[in-house]
Amino acid sequence: MQGDVVLVVDDEPQIRRVVRNVLTPENARVIEAATGREAIDLAAAERPALIVLDLGLPDVPGLDVCREIRSWSSAPIIVLSARHSDQEKVALLDAGADDYMTKPFSPGELQARVRAQLRRARLAPAAGPGQVITIGDLVIDPVKPSIKKNDVAVHLTKTEWELLRTLLKHAGRTLTHSQLFRAVWGNSSGDMQQYLRVHVRSLRRKIESDPVRPKLIVTEPGVGYRFENEP
Amino acid sequence: MTSSGAPVPRRGIQRREWIAWFTVLAVVTAAMVAIRGRLNEAHVTLAYLLVVQGGSARGGRPLGIALAFAAFLSFDVFFLPPFGTLTIQDPLNWLVLVAFLGTSILSAQLLYRAQAEADAARERAAEIDRLAALGAETLNVGRAEEALTAIVSVIRSSLHLDGCAVYTTDAKTRDVRLASQSGAAVEHSSASDRLVDWVVAEGTSAVEQVDGTTSVGAASTVLVAGGEPAARVRAFLRPLQVRGTTVGVLRISAGGGLALTPAQVRVLDALAYYAALGVERVRLSAEAERAVVLQEAHRAKDAVLASVSHDLRTPLTTIKGLAHEIAAGGDDRAGIIEEEADRLNVFVAQILDLSRITAGAAVTDIQPNEAEDLLGAAAQQVTGRLRGRELRIEVAADDGLLFGRFDFAQTLRALVNLIENAAKYSPPETPIDLSARRDGRWLVFSVADRGPGVPADQRERIFEPFYRRAEQPPDVGGVGLGLSIARGIAEAQGGSVGLSGREGGGSVFELRVPAIATEELAASPELLGDDTESLRRR
Repeated sequence: MQGDVVLVVDDEPQIRRVVRNVLTPENARVIEAATGREAIDLAAAERPALIVLDLGLPDVPGLDVCREIRSWSSAPIIVLSARHSDQEKVALLDAGADDYMTKPFSPGELQARVRAQLRRARLAPAAGPGQVITIGDLVIDPVKPSIKKNDVAVHLTKTEWELLRTLLKHAGRTLTHSQLFRAVWGNSSGDMQQYLRVHVRSLRRKIESDPVRPKLIVTEPGVGYRFENEP
Repeated sequence: MTSSGAPVPRRGIQRREWIAWFTVLAVVTAAMVAIRGRLNEAHVTLAYLLVVQGGSARGGRPLGIALAFAAFLSFDVFFLPPFGTLTIQDPLNWLVLVAFLGTSILSAQLLYRAQAEADAARERAAEIDRLAALGAETLNVGRAEEALTAIVSVIRSSLHLDGCAVYTTDAKTRDVRLASQSGAAVEHSSASDRLVDWVVAEGTSAVEQVDGTTSVGAASTVLVAGGEPAARVRAFLRPLQVRGTTVGVLRISAGGGLALTPAQVRVLDALAYYAALGVERVRLSAEAERAVVLQEAHRAKDAVLASVSHDLRTPLTTIKGLAHEIAAGGDDRAGIIEEEADRLNVFVAQILDLSRITAGAAVTDIQPNEAEDLLGAAAQQVTGRLRGRELRIEVAADDGLLFGRFDFAQTLRALVNLIENAAKYSPPETPIDLSARRDGRWLVFSVADRGPGVPADQRERIFEPFYRRAEQPPDVGGVGLGLSIARGIAEAQGGSVGLSGREGGGSVFELRVPAIATEELAASPELLGDDTESLRRR
């Protein structure tokens, strides 16, 4: 992780200090911005590997900053917000944010998320669509396509397979209900929630060791689902 | 209209008509006497008939009949021999005279009737005009109060009253208030106020006499003209009703005694209906204004809550972050600071939850959701917070799909609160049992513990905010909001949270939300049917 540039955006110097301390063990070079405009300029000039973005900025709404940066950068964005609102969370994830943490967050938790996002960003280009994935007792071959659990072939329906493939493609990142629905069913009509719930349940029953305590397909309450590739 | 609202000018006009027509009669008689030799009975009859009819057309039936008798006498005296006396030589001439009198009176009578009908038609047309104008005014006037004022003045002017007033009643407090008046101001006395209140309470009309006494329950027939009572009536009060509810009172008054014709009573009834609509409109527009104010207040409250939550959470973040940094340096007191910051954060979140519940904004995203998903999310969220207690999850396997209609995130919060409550009050070595099942139209999540249980008389009280059990161990954290929040969330989506004793000791908390019939789901082909094509077959 040597030499990664991380951009920290927050108008409160104390919060910037807390985030900087979290990043110290990562050996990252931390650059800071106090306003949304400054953040966009710095992100364009320095091309950071990761952005930690506070939503309560004095000039530009955090959602717009997120959308703006996402339009030309693929760097992971972790959003910090003092509002505990699922709608806000959904809007941010739809706008391209990769992760979302509510204040007051635990520094240890932020550190873990920063690491996960940096690792994912670095691995992303290498993990081509044809690669066989092994997670615990599960072996997934997206090309064939086949899936084995403890060496026993698992029978997936077409929809379940589409759902799993979408989740795998964005492993580690929370996908909102509408993102998932669009990817699997191709549109947003119909009873999105109901369809998704039914197929997530049946997919969990086939691939999770304990479907009531899922470790692979994790529920993000009120927001969506996330595939944990490192459970 | 002989005794209508404006009798004095009418009488003056009549006197002039009488003088004019008797003059005409005299002139015609004199003219005919001058040429008497060349006239026979038929000429005289026709000339007099013309005068009689002209008189009754202009001056009414009494003038017509008076003219008929006068003409009858002149005919006899001047034109039937012997002239100058009332005696008649030729008995046949009696027939001529009697026929003349009969024809004259009959024509006066017919003319009168035709005219009365024409008058009534004119009156009705005017009435319709007034109502139309009033209706238009009621609808057009911008402010509801102004519309009411317009109605009041139309009632006063169209019925020639001295004073007209409308009182409105408050829908909730039933307070009566003078909303609008026109003409003579209402003299306020406790007696007249009481009468208004009485009309509101009973929903029937009342009459105020000149001597200050009142008669209640009197129908508007009291007001019909001609009778004795009319002269003694000072004011008439009539309830204004919309859809059977009394919304106000209409009070009309005339200083010199109140009397109305049946036609005017009809007009009054119609106008009173407009007045009732006007009162209703004032009430509705006031209500709409109140709703706007209330909405503003809610918005302001939301803004305050949002900024409070921001302003509390931002320093908490700093405190936690710095404590974490210090703890890394080896000072174990920093861990306590971090824990306390967490506690404060939970408290802030709960206060916000409670205020959202009381504001009716606890749930915002009610969707079809699946029970197993909620159980899994709850188990994940309480991981590490049960201080060593085992959480056992059971889903009734043969129930198939367990679906309910609820707000996932909020219901999760309610369920987590119930699990944490169970963890607080049960011994560490006993498990907490979490399960989901279908019960009729309910999807039931239950949380069962092996704690001491709650005495029956406290089972409702523990859901009150800030309530804490007396025997509660001192190390139990929290402020006693978890259960009331859980219940508030459940009730906001049509469900409930209940508590019962558990067989073998402990408590069972049941969270109920509306279930979705799974038969419906299974029968939905677009939901499940596209999966017939399996991976293997591809």
